[in-house]
Amino acid sequence: MDMEKDMKLNELDNIGNSLEQDRAWAESLLNKQNLSQFNLSKTDAPFNYFESFPDQLMKRIESEKKQKINKKSPKIFFLPSFMQPLNRVAIAAAFIIVVGGSFIFLNNSVWKKTHAPIVAKYISLEELSSEEIESYVDANEWIAEIDVHTQMKKENSRLSSLDEKQIEEIEKTINK
Amino acid sequence: MASDQELIIQFQESINREANFTALLKKHQQKVYYQIKRMVTDHADADDIAQLVWIKIWDKLDGFKMESEFSTWLFRIAYNETLNYLQKQKKQRTIPSNSDLLDYENTTAGSDSPKSTEIQIGLERAISQLPEKQKVVFMLRYYDGFDYEKIASIVGTTIGGAKANYHQAVKKVESFIKQL
Repeated sequence: MDMEKDMKLNELDNIGNSLEQDRAWAESLLNKQNLSQFNLSKTDAPFNYFESFPDQLMKRIESEKKQKINKKSPKIFFLPSFMQPLNRVAIAAAFIIVVGGSFIFLNNSVWKKTHAPIVAKYISLEELSSEEIESYVDANEWIAEIDVHTQMKKENSRLSSLDEKQIEEIEKTINK
Repeated sequence: MASDQELIIQFQESINREANFTALLKKHQQKVYYQIKRMVTDHADADDIAQLVWIKIWDKLDGFKMESEFSTWLFRIAYNETLNYLQKQKKQRTIPSNSDLLDYENTTAGSDSPKSTEIQIGLERAISQLPEKQKVVFMLRYYDGFDYEKIASIVGTTIGGAKANYHQAVKKVESFIKQL
């Protein structure tokens, strides 16, 4: 056991002294020609590879640079720790504001749609021509007549209920 | 030709960044590519990994403090990227691919003698079966001639550990070939 250990240590002594010694030791065990042949098989490169590699690489670097600029990652905003318990409340409040605001806005726009004709009518009355007004009055004259008759009836009933003294007083005021 | 340090300083001072970076790239691209290719064999994969390595260098060069040599830092990134790639490949593969061996056989076709070819194939297979760290240490020492301090820094071990890895790699390959 100790002999084997010594032998191993001796072998280790054969290496690490100089590069030439290490190479010589490897060649003594593995054959210099075979080692050389192995290296040749592993170190061939396609024709013109090294001449074109720098340009290809710089193009790739440039392209990746542009991609990095285009892809800007969104910043994540973290609330301070003392505010973190309020996260859910804040989110809920924001939700209510958005939903409520949308509801109010939509209702307003619906109200405007239904009342706009009435407003428009009030606004456009002044813009109506005399012909349009006359035709409207003619169409609605019967309503006006009814109104007049109604008023007259009211007045007649008032007059008929008056006594002679009240009538004299009214005549006096009219003659004045 | 300007040294690595000069090129890096100019790059960091935003003086002709692209030109200085390209100069650094041209100085080291072959060694980086070969280191990667010895590990992954396939050119397309080696090219992908090499590009990733250099893109990482471009992104991080401003922060490089020159506490170690630039090449040490560069090869360390190349080693890590290659390891990441190989780990992904292992997860995706269920059956080990023999394409590497076929490629080797094709490249060595017509060489010397049948026995020689068989030994070469055996060497290829033996090295491919080494643990990644031992494989890299062996290649960086034997083929690239790096000192153990640099190798240790690249693969993330001690100088003694790097020496032990080199020793174990050679012994394992020898043992595998003897079995043929």
